[in-house]
Amino acid sequence: MSAGNATLEPLLTWLTLILAQLERTFYKVPGSAVIARYVRSSHQNDPGRTVLELILIVFAVRTLMQSRSRDKSEGKLIKFSEKEIDELIDEWTPEPLSAPLTEWEQRDLASVPVIAGPNGPKPKILSTGKTVINLASYNFAGLAGNEHIKERAIETLRKYGLGSCGPPGFYGTVDVHLELERDIADFLGTESAILYSQGFVTISSVIPAFCKRGDIIVADRAVNFAIQKGIQISRSTVRWYDHNDLKSLEDVLISVEKDRRKRGTPITRRFIITEGIFERDGEIVDLPKLIELKHKYKYRLILDESISFGSVGRTGRGLTELYNVPASQVDMLVGSVANGLCSAGGFCAGSTIVTEHQRINGTSFVFSASMPPLLAVAGSEGISFLRNTPSALTSLQENVRAVRAVLEKTEGIAVVGHRASPIVHFHLKIPCIANGSANGIATNPTTVMPPPTGPSFDYEAEEKILQDIVDDALANGVFITRAKRLRGQEMVETRPTVRIVVTAALTKKEIEKAAGVVKGSVAKVLGKRKA
Amino acid sequence: MAILTASRSPCSLSPSPRSQDPFWVKKRYSVTQLPPITVTSHLSTVHEAEVHSRSRTITRTPTPVHSVTPSKTSGDSVLDESDDHNLHAALTSEKTSNTVQSEFGHCANQSYRYISQHNPDKPVAEDEIEEPPYYILFTTYFSYLLLVVIGHLRDLLGKRFAKSSFIDLMIHDGYAPLVSDFQSFYARRLVQRVNDCFYQPISGVAGRTILVYDRYSEDFNRTQTYTGTTTRALNISSYNYLGFAQAHGSYADAVEESIKRYGVSACGTRLEGGTCDLHRIAEALVARFIGTEDALICSMGFATNSTFIPALVGKGCLVISDEHNHASARIGVRQSGACVRMFKHNDMGSLEELLREVISQGQPKTHRSWKKILVIVEGLYSMEGTMVNLPKIIELKKKYKFYLFVDEAHSIGALGPHGRGVADYFNVPPSSVDVLMGTFTKSFGAAGGYIAGPKLLINSLRMHGHSGPHAEAMAPPVLMQIVATTTSIMGVSSVDDLATSKSTSHQPTFKPSTNGVAMSEVEDEYLHPGMVPASALPTWFSIPSSLADGSEARERIRRLAFNARYLRAGLKKLGFITYGHPSSPIVPLLTFNPGKMLMFAQMMRTRKPTPLAVVVIAYPVTPLVTSRVRFCVSASHTKEDIDVVLRACDEIGDILDLKHGKGKRWPIEEIVKRSVELVHSI
Repeated sequence: MSAGNATLEPLLTWLTLILAQLERTFYKVPGSAVIARYVRSSHQNDPGRTVLELILIVFAVRTLMQSRSRDKSEGKLIKFSEKEIDELIDEWTPEPLSAPLTEWEQRDLASVPVIAGPNGPKPKILSTGKTVINLASYNFAGLAGNEHIKERAIETLRKYGLGSCGPPGFYGTVDVHLELERDIADFLGTESAILYSQGFVTISSVIPAFCKRGDIIVADRAVNFAIQKGIQISRSTVRWYDHNDLKSLEDVLISVEKDRRKRGTPITRRFIITEGIFERDGEIVDLPKLIELKHKYKYRLILDESISFGSVGRTGRGLTELYNVPASQVDMLVGSVANGLCSAGGFCAGSTIVTEHQRINGTSFVFSASMPPLLAVAGSEGISFLRNTPSALTSLQENVRAVRAVLEKTEGIAVVGHRASPIVHFHLKIPCIANGSANGIATNPTTVMPPPTGPSFDYEAEEKILQDIVDDALANGVFITRAKRLRGQEMVETRPTVRIVVTAALTKKEIEKAAGVVKGSVAKVLGKRKA
Repeated sequence: MAILTASRSPCSLSPSPRSQDPFWVKKRYSVTQLPPITVTSHLSTVHEAEVHSRSRTITRTPTPVHSVTPSKTSGDSVLDESDDHNLHAALTSEKTSNTVQSEFGHCANQSYRYISQHNPDKPVAEDEIEEPPYYILFTTYFSYLLLVVIGHLRDLLGKRFAKSSFIDLMIHDGYAPLVSDFQSFYARRLVQRVNDCFYQPISGVAGRTILVYDRYSEDFNRTQTYTGTTTRALNISSYNYLGFAQAHGSYADAVEESIKRYGVSACGTRLEGGTCDLHRIAEALVARFIGTEDALICSMGFATNSTFIPALVGKGCLVISDEHNHASARIGVRQSGACVRMFKHNDMGSLEELLREVISQGQPKTHRSWKKILVIVEGLYSMEGTMVNLPKIIELKKKYKFYLFVDEAHSIGALGPHGRGVADYFNVPPSSVDVLMGTFTKSFGAAGGYIAGPKLLINSLRMHGHSGPHAEAMAPPVLMQIVATTTSIMGVSSVDDLATSKSTSHQPTFKPSTNGVAMSEVEDEYLHPGMVPASALPTWFSIPSSLADGSEARERIRRLAFNARYLRAGLKKLGFITYGHPSSPIVPLLTFNPGKMLMFAQMMRTRKPTPLAVVVIAYPVTPLVTSRVRFCVSASHTKEDIDVVLRACDEIGDILDLKHGKGKRWPIEEIVKRSVELVHSI
């Protein structure tokens, strides 16, 4: 024993020395005395607590050391040997990357007319070489081919070059972009505006910049595809109301509030998202009533004016001008420079807080190059044209009335939408009936699907008939188009329509003549079908 | 983000007469007048040179001005070649005579060229990540900690004592705050401190030099005040790789002609009345340029990813994505509804491991096998400067049967001996990649993007991508810039080599598309589809002879390769830590500390005599510790411009203690002198 003790002796002395040394260094650290005192006194009072705290420390260290990636799924993985994995890999045959287009899709793609030379009210079609009347392209105020805009674009090209070569954050903000933002804000009467480089991605970027998980979105059932994508990205809770039915909207708003009270959750951000003029059918939302509801139920309004900006109102300021509502009442007013001003890009107008927030959080603003300066200048020039030429919008309205007058008298088709809308949609009056029909069920705001009304329709058969009408009209010198949709990707499948975009660049006579041609084509195609 | 205000306090130091007007205040027709230049730097001499050259080229013709006099003006001497290459100068001046020095620098010395190409004898180099000393990491973490603590303290006190300025962050009037204080904390308390470096408005061309608006802030970056003056700085930050951002010269002439003929807008979507012949011509040219059967063009680069990826994959599919992929690809994948897994940046081992796991396990929960797997990588990563290991991925692709999507946003035009991207760099046939995506914003000085691949795939995307029926078609002037630049890179063949095509029947044939543009033409060489037949171009496009033979663009590609390698090698020899591939025109210089990053940008911007415009990036774009400066080299830079950058970095790097790289260091003079040797050594 003693021999053992003797050998251990130096080791023990060494240990004591080390411990003493450690203690000294520990006390040298400022504040260590406090900790020591605390540990000592707590141990004295309650030795069990020391043990508990030790366990806690061990647990905390363990949690910190653990890798934080994909631990959840680890447990569920099936264990395979390397050989088995190789076999599974050999067995696996993926589907082809893209399925070939169906016969109908191929025809659809091939039937898209290509314009030779400039687009405008009377472009030349490449395949036939014939000049046609254009009721398909967005050229509401007749800005396409404007010589002054061309001149200014060339001037800009000679000073700024073409591309901006950078995102807005990194030397891609050119003064003309800021000028256009200011012009839009001044034109609409909002505090500020922010410019995106493509119209389509604007709203799908604006929505997720504000709407986050847990927020509430109340949206129209027939919103356009870009809004649908924005809502999908946002991950917010969505409630749907019947298309352009503000009564239904109010019901939903009430039920949302009731729901919140019942759960006792705090107030989250709440948004109403809808369109000014619906891209899908040309309906116009009752803006004053919408604003009233928004104020009453404390919602913020995201209004997509991609179609209405530059096409309605006395000078083309859009829905706010049409209803004489100050644009500052709309929290986020999204519009398209591409459609309304015949240039490119989109914008979101609103308060400075709204726009500045997007300069950091608007994904497609931050991560994309800014638009070519000459297109921004074209947008600014478009605005000054609208300001100085109210007659353009007046003749646009006259032309809308002329088109509708002819089409409403046409047999076999139903013209939908608001009478002031510059886009006119029509679908077949008698649907091509598919198998089965459903009865009315009460509206459910948690699903986007509208309550089924009437018999369902055969989508493709209707598309084909409408395409025949479009083709026949083109052969007779009028360029119109079906409203193209992404079937299978849209949330709701609606009746296929033909879309006519009215322009101020044509005289009333020309428009009437063109509408007459469409009428003739409808009669011819539908007549043939009956026969 | 700063609010742009025009207000100017009475106590400011230098009230200039113009200062009352913010620059965007209506000055409708003043675009042609340049704002006053303040800094009497040698770059202002460049401006003089610009005026000279403008007066020279005032009568622009589609063909270049064949001036016999060398383009040197007295003012150029600082930035132009100062050595004895008069012969070369005289020769090249012919080609560059209608360019403007401030947009595109002249560089006649043929030794300042390099061909960017992978050496097939060598294995693909792994990315080296150099670590800084520990004290740097410690101070960086500490500075973030300090900023966060101070930020929270200010919020805490502010909410109690200065409620009015926090009203937007609290529930008020029955509305939840538009932005929660947690969400906006980073923007308010950290980004705002360095806001000075971002969103600086510019004027004019983002070419070799750039006109930056001068501004200052009196309220800690909440708002910025503009003095109305501008500073011309050397631009080492725009994505102008091949230097095609030019307001003068043959490319701009072609665009001008297109505006006269086509106007500025396509007025509609591609499927609904916005397609014109120029779209078809440009798409056919791009397909030829990339070397695929067909291509489609989208009017925005971001949207090319975000609207077409959902048409490629959907539910039951898996996307394997590099962790540093661009936001647009992530958004696209999220919209598609496919599952996503990430692998470690550019780590082929991690990718293979993941592939083995996902294929063997199948879909989560059901363990059904995946419908298809799409691997999305970038050719050149925009923040890292790293290049994808394409040969290895293609090898893996053969074994694991996934589909490959390469985003060539930064690499197209900038890499490869022919400027055709990573496939060209590695000498891999483009058909071995399923989907080749890229943008025109960067190398081509235009806007928008493309997707190239087999005709079957592209047609399917045309019909099923979101852009087709919903997004505006690309504007004609932008299309023309693409046509002009890709044509000049490829060159135009005067004869239709239909006869020669017959002999090489194993090559893929370009079917005549229904656009009336005859493309039934086969390239002489599979990898590098050769020259464009004149019949594939718009009939009114009279391409100048210097562009038609492809030599002008070839010079650009080689100058870019030289500049990129020179800057990187120079920075390394100076002792900086850089990331990325030696041939990458994106050169990130690591500063680590966010405060140093800010100082670096400010010191570069206010540097005398040559101010430099640089891009700095930090968290969340990069990992927390690796704040960096990102240089984007351009073909428009001369070797002397890169010298200027290196000298500036050398001085500022000493002041800010940024040189932590390993390896042998050289003094700056030696680097400048032995540049050619350096470029060939890495």
